[in-house]
Amino acid sequence: MTIQSEIQALKCADCARSDSAVSDLQPDSLLPFPADALSGWRDGKPGTAGVTRRKLLRNGVLGFAAVYGATQLSFEDVWESAVAQAAEPMGKSIVVIYLNGGNDGLNCFVPAGATEFAKYQTLRPTIARTLGPGTATAVGTTVMGGTNGTLAFSNKLVSGAAADQNGDTKGFDTLYGDGSGGAGSDLAIFPAADYNPPNRSHFESRDYWFAGALSQLQTGWLGRWLDVYGSTSNPLQAVSLDSNLSKQIRSSKAPVCALEGLQGVGFTVPGVTGDVNSEVGKLSTLPFGQGNDALGRSRGMWGLTVDVANRLTSIPAGAPAPGYPPNSGLSQKLQLAATLLSAGLGTRVVTIDWGSFDTHGDQLAGQDPQLTTLSRALAAFKADLTARGVEQNVVTLVFSEFGRRLEESDSKGTDHGSGGPIMLSGSAVKGGLAGEHPGVNVNQDGDLVVKTDFRTVYQSIISEWLGGDPTSILPGGPFPGVARYDGGTTLMKAA
Amino acid sequence: MTATKKKPTKAHHKPAKARTVKPRRHRLHVPPGGASVTFSPTAMSQAMVDRLFWRAGFGPSANDRANWTGKPLDDAVDSLLNTPQGALLGAEPSNTGKPLDPTGNDTDLVLAWVDRMVRTPNPLVERMTFFWHRHWANSRVSVSPTQLLMNQNALLRKYSDLAANPDVSFRDMALEVSKDPSMLRYLNGESNVKGGPNENYGREFMELFTLGVNHVITGAKNYTENDVAQLAKSFTGWYIDDKDPANAKALFDSGRWFNGPKSVFGKLGNYNTDSVVDLVLGQDGHAPYLVNKLWGEFMPTPPPTATLQKLSADYVASGRKIKPLLRSILTDPQLFESIDEPNMIKPPIVFVSGAMRAMGLGITSTGPADYLDSMGQVPYFPPTVAGWEGGLSWLNTNTALARFGFIGDVIGNAPNGSPAKVADVPNETPQAAFDRAFGAVGAPWMSAGTRAAIQDYAGRASVKSSKDRIARQVMLRTLMLAGPDAQVM
Repeated sequence: MTIQSEIQALKCADCARSDSAVSDLQPDSLLPFPADALSGWRDGKPGTAGVTRRKLLRNGVLGFAAVYGATQLSFEDVWESAVAQAAEPMGKSIVVIYLNGGNDGLNCFVPAGATEFAKYQTLRPTIARTLGPGTATAVGTTVMGGTNGTLAFSNKLVSGAAADQNGDTKGFDTLYGDGSGGAGSDLAIFPAADYNPPNRSHFESRDYWFAGALSQLQTGWLGRWLDVYGSTSNPLQAVSLDSNLSKQIRSSKAPVCALEGLQGVGFTVPGVTGDVNSEVGKLSTLPFGQGNDALGRSRGMWGLTVDVANRLTSIPAGAPAPGYPPNSGLSQKLQLAATLLSAGLGTRVVTIDWGSFDTHGDQLAGQDPQLTTLSRALAAFKADLTARGVEQNVVTLVFSEFGRRLEESDSKGTDHGSGGPIMLSGSAVKGGLAGEHPGVNVNQDGDLVVKTDFRTVYQSIISEWLGGDPTSILPGGPFPGVARYDGGTTLMKAA
Repeated sequence: MTATKKKPTKAHHKPAKARTVKPRRHRLHVPPGGASVTFSPTAMSQAMVDRLFWRAGFGPSANDRANWTGKPLDDAVDSLLNTPQGALLGAEPSNTGKPLDPTGNDTDLVLAWVDRMVRTPNPLVERMTFFWHRHWANSRVSVSPTQLLMNQNALLRKYSDLAANPDVSFRDMALEVSKDPSMLRYLNGESNVKGGPNENYGREFMELFTLGVNHVITGAKNYTENDVAQLAKSFTGWYIDDKDPANAKALFDSGRWFNGPKSVFGKLGNYNTDSVVDLVLGQDGHAPYLVNKLWGEFMPTPPPTATLQKLSADYVASGRKIKPLLRSILTDPQLFESIDEPNMIKPPIVFVSGAMRAMGLGITSTGPADYLDSMGQVPYFPPTVAGWEGGLSWLNTNTALARFGFIGDVIGNAPNGSPAKVADVPNETPQAAFDRAFGAVGAPWMSAGTRAAIQDYAGRASVKSSKDRIARQVMLRTLMLAGPDAQVM
C-alpha cells in the first residue's frame, strides 16, 4: 500500500515505471497465512500429530503469500518447515529498504568542510542546506561525529522539534551516536556508494544493485545466498512486503515469497476513537463454564483477533509504543517486518520498496518529507525490534539505485548522478563513517566520484553477518574489504 | 457480493462423517460458582423463554418474555407450532431506495429471505424453512433461473408452516423434493436417464438427505455402491419444463425411465421415484439419522441414545410426520442445558436477523447480505450440497471481525430516522448510559463478568462532548450485541 501524501517528488516521464519487482515470473502458489502463526500456534504446531491444514486454518486467515521457487510445496510442508526453523536459535537476518528513484545523498550527508561546502552551496543555489541551524530558506545541518567536521547530517534526518528537524526524539543522529562504532553507535554510513563506471539508467542500475553484479542476472544477490545457505522448504525465509517479488530475493531454487500485508486490523467501531480492541480484549479473557465449548470458542476467537491485531499494529501491551511516524506506508511495512521477524517463522530476509526519490524538480518538497519519515521510521523500527527481543539479530540496509548530480537543475531539482548513500542500521553494526566520502569531487561527467563499490558492502554483510562464502554469491569477487574513514575494515562490531 | 463467484464444490465435497452417538448421561450443565439451575417446565424462567426463542427463532422480543415467563413450556411450544406465519410485520424492504428484485439480482434474492426472517410474526417457520434449506442444500451458483430456487423455497416453507399444514410428513417432502425442478437441476436429475444414469442425486439422497453413510446408532453401513447405482436408475424419467420460469415444473417421461427390475437393499422391484423413496425411508437407518439432524439444529449436544430411539420410533409410528417430532425436540429438557450460560453458537443468519429484530431494523441496504458473506453463510449459496458445516467452525478471526463490523456499522453509521440512531443525552450517568444501551439492543444475555467490564467502560469513557457521549453509547451497544457473549444462544 502506498500512502498518497508520500508521493510528492516529480518524476521524469521515463522514470515513472517501477520495475524493482519480478514481472516475468508467476508465483507457484498462494500460501494462506493462518492467524495462529502470529499467536504461538494455540491449537498445535504444524508437524505435530493431528494438526492438519484444516485445523491450522480454522481460526482464520490473515492473508496470502505468493510463493516463488522451483519446487512445489504443500501448505503443510511450508508451515512445518517454518516451525522447525523457528525452533532453532534465530538466524542473523536482514531487512532491505530500497529507496525508489535515486536518492540524493548530498542533501542527506552534506560536505561540511569550508571549501567544499562553498562549492556545494554555489552549485545548489536554491536547494542547498545551510551550516548550523536552519534559516527561513534553508534546512540546517548537524556535524557528524567521527568525520573531523567534514560531513554533516541534514537536519531533516536529525531528531528534535525545531522546524527543520524531524520532529521526533529519535532519528539518524541518535542511531549514529558519536560515530565511533562503539556502544550506541549503530548506524554505518557510506556517503558515495555505487560502481564504476556508473550507469544513470534507473532500470539498469537498479538491476545491478539487486543482482549484486554489474550485469542483469536472473537471480538476486540475496536469492543466490538463499540458494546456497537457505531453507529448501520455507518460503517465509525471504519475504518481499509487496504484491510482487523483489528481484533481490529472486532465487533459482530456494522458495521465497511476496506478502502484501496481513489483515489483522482488530476491532473498530465507527465514531469511537478510544481503544476498542483493548475493551473487547477484556471481554475475551473472562472464565466460562467447563464444557461450554461454544462460549469458549467465542471468547477465544475474539481474544485471538485482539492478540493478532496487537502483534501486527504494535507491540504487546505493557511495552512502550515504538513511535513510528503515522500515516506512512514505510511504517506499516516495517511494523509488519518486525512482526514477521519476531514471530518465529524462520524469516531471514525482508525486502521493502519505498518512496519516490526521483527528484528532478522541486526537490525540497519531494525529498525532505521522505527523509523525515525515513529517519524516524528507522529509529522506531530499531526500538520496536528491541521491544520484541530480536533486535540483536537484525540489521537494516538502506540504499537507492544511484545518487544525483552535484549541480542543481533549472527546475530546483537534480538529475540522475552517481554515488548515493548506503546506510546500515542495527546494534550489531559498527556505526560511523564506514566508507570514504568524496566531498564535492566529481568525475568527467560532473557526477560525484564513487568511493565505495556497493558489492564490497554486500560482501561484508555476507561474510560478517549472514554467513557464508561471498565469492560464490557475488560475481567478480573477491572485492577489497570495507575501507572505513577511521581506517578499520569491518562492518560489524566485534562479536 | 462475491457469493455468486463461488464454484460449486458438490462433486468434491467430503461427506460429513456420520456421528455414532455414544450413550451419554443426561445432564444439565452447571456453570462455575455452583449456581443451582431450576428447570421448571410448568413455569418458565426468563432464561428459558430466551433460550426457546433463540433456538426456535431469532431471539425473544419484550412481548415474548412478558407472555411466556412463568408459563408452561408446552404452551409456548404449541403456540410456536400452531401460529400460522401470516403476513409479515413492518415496513417493506428496500435496497438503497428501490424495492427488492429477487429475480433481477442475487443480492436482492438473499435480502428478500433475510427480510422474511426479520419481519415474520412466527420465527419458527423461517427457522425451519432455513433448516430444510440447510438439509436439501441447493445453490444459486448452479441453479438457474432464479425462480426454481424461489419455488423450492416456497416448497420448503410448506413443510415448515405447521399451523397451516399440521399433517405434513417427511415422506411427502422427500417425494416433492425429488421431483422439484431446482433439485433436478442442482443434482443432475434432469440428465439421469435410462441408458445414461447420473448417480449424483441417488447418492446424496441416501448419504445426506435420508440415511447417512453409517447407521447413527449401530454404526453399520446403510447402503452399498450397488444400491447407489440401482437407486439412480429408479429415479430416472424426469425433465424440467421451465419455459415459464415462475411456473417451472418437473415432468415424467416414461421413455426416459429405466423400466426394468432393480435391486435396492437386496430387494428386487421395478422401482420408480415414488416407490424407491418409500423403500429408502423404510430403512432402519432413516429415522435416527433425521431425528439426530433435526435435533442438532436446536442443541449442540447430541441426544442420549434412549431419547434418539424413542423419538425415532415415535416418528415412524406417526407416519414420519414433522410436527410431532419437532414438538418432542423443542420440549425436551436438554434444550435448557447450561441455562445460565448459553452454549450454542448463533449461526450467522440467526445472529444477523436476531440483531436486526432486537433493534427494530428493516432491510434498507445490501449490508446484511454483504456481512453474511463475510460471516460465511449466504442463504441460497450453501458451499456444498452438505450445506454449512456450522457449529464451532462458524467463528474465527475473520468472521469475528465480520460479526463485530456488522453491528458497529449498523449502529455507528445509522442514518437519521433509523431506530438504531443514537441520540445524545447530556449529563447521563454511566449506569443510565448502560441501561439505555441495554434496553436499545433488546436486553441480551451477558455474563456477570461481561456486564461488569462493560459497566466499567461506561464509567471510564470520555463524556466531554456530544460526540464523546454518542461514541460511548454506540460502543456500549456494540459490545453488548457483538462481543463474545452475544455469539452464543
